[in-house]
Amino acid sequence: MEHMQRYVSPINPAVFPHLATVLLIIGTFFTAWFFVFVVSRKSTKESTLIKELLISLCASIFLGFGIVFLLLTVGIYV
Amino acid sequence: MWILYHVAIAYLILNVTHAEIINKNVERTLDLTSQLAKTTYKISVEDTAGKALKDYVFVVKEPNLSFISVKDGFSNKVKYEEKKGLANDQTEFKLTFASVSPQQNLVIETVSTKNILPHPAEIKQNDKQLVKFVGGLYLYSKYSTNTQKTNVMLSSSNILSHTQAKPYSVSSNKLAFGPYENIAPLSEDELVIHYENQSPFLTVNSLDRSIEVSHWGNIAVKESIEMTHTGAKLKGSFSRYDFQKDGRSGQSAVKSYKTYLPASASGVYYRDTNGNISTSNMHFMRDFVDLELRPRFPLFGGWKTQYTLGYNVPSYEYLFSSGNNYVLKMHLIDHIHDNMSIEKAVVTVILPEGSANIELITPYSIKRHQNDLIYTYLDTVGRPVITFSKQNLVENHISEFTLKYTFSKVSLLQEPLLVIGFIYMIFIFTIVLLRLDFSITYHSHKE
Repeated sequence: MEHMQRYVSPINPAVFPHLATVLLIIGTFFTAWFFVFVVSRKSTKESTLIKELLISLCASIFLGFGIVFLLLTVGIYV
Repeated sequence: MWILYHVAIAYLILNVTHAEIINKNVERTLDLTSQLAKTTYKISVEDTAGKALKDYVFVVKEPNLSFISVKDGFSNKVKYEEKKGLANDQTEFKLTFASVSPQQNLVIETVSTKNILPHPAEIKQNDKQLVKFVGGLYLYSKYSTNTQKTNVMLSSSNILSHTQAKPYSVSSNKLAFGPYENIAPLSEDELVIHYENQSPFLTVNSLDRSIEVSHWGNIAVKESIEMTHTGAKLKGSFSRYDFQKDGRSGQSAVKSYKTYLPASASGVYYRDTNGNISTSNMHFMRDFVDLELRPRFPLFGGWKTQYTLGYNVPSYEYLFSSGNNYVLKMHLIDHIHDNMSIEKAVVTVILPEGSANIELITPYSIKRHQNDLIYTYLDTVGRPVITFSKQNLVENHISEFTLKYTFSKVSLLQEPLLVIGFIYMIFIFTIVLLRLDFSITYHSHKE
């Protein structure tokens, strides 16, 4: 017990709302880019699969962390 | 040979009779100002033979004994063994002294519930609440007592009747009985006091305390409380007009009471099945948060209320870590109102998903329930739940339990990864869907 330290969150709870906002904005931007890119694709034969997967991966990483921090902000401590 | 044997026996008997423990002086203080009977015993014990005292049997002849603390003359704790289930609501404590001396001083504190009963049991709205306490005039002891005194503190100077065992004296709200000299062992005499007591007689029938630990830096505490006014029952109808107009009306009713929360408490809520109860005030003090709760209606005798109180505290106040080992140190129960009496408390600790090697240390004996799993937001294998309960608790039981467990920091990333995986699945589904051709006619695009 003596050698133990007080446990603090890896991320300061005071920045949860800001982090949620920023991450969700970036995530939404990537999502928008993905859909614009996919819809404006000229022909189906063009090989754009890798690019689509990469953009959507970025979008889901930012949205995923954004949603978790949004939950933490509103008081759902997951 | 025979003579020797007889001499030995006679010596043994003599020795036994000589090694007699007596209570040289006993001072009792009975605090009957609230709904609890709090007793402080100051006992000087002596061995007449001058032999070193090893152990002493202390008997509590009170039903519903809730709390006991035994200290010696130097306010060190004295070890004791409890023996329950004896006849006539007796509880025996076998005390073992740490120091060796033919003279010992003892300071024993006991708290018992439901020994101060309303008498009459039913009163009208404007009546005063009168209560009766029945206890022992003498210290119930296995040993003879040389002198003893009893001081009684009451909530008001309105004493209707009391046991007239001379010598006694009355001054305002204080009663003094004794000194009584040379009381034989196991002698009993009733001490009855009938007096006015308007202090809130609130009993918490059930307390459901849940502590949810999150490694994102928060500990959420939620207490579901069922409460009954266990004073004199209300006879006849309730008149709101009298209650509002006349200050003397409904004095025994509980209009509001105070709950103390930890100083770092935030996001406090006070609600019941109907929703938020808006009649509460919160004051931030230096060492605690003072929460004044006002139930939806004044509580008269026999009336019940039910509510949920919750708050968040930051994890650094109660959670300690070293590598993957964690220790949670929190109050087993917390303050609900002054001089509270809890019939049954169930404490639930919810640990984050992936916690293992759970070890619980409690300040007093509790009833441990089966470990369980709970599924809430973003859970896969479920969060471990530790549940334990205890009956008949008072304010003196507010102390810390320790819960040790291990948790790997990587598990913290599990929840974000779950959300990321879910969203990525939607994107992949979209990519696949757009590559499928659902048209029923053939288009020849010439671009």
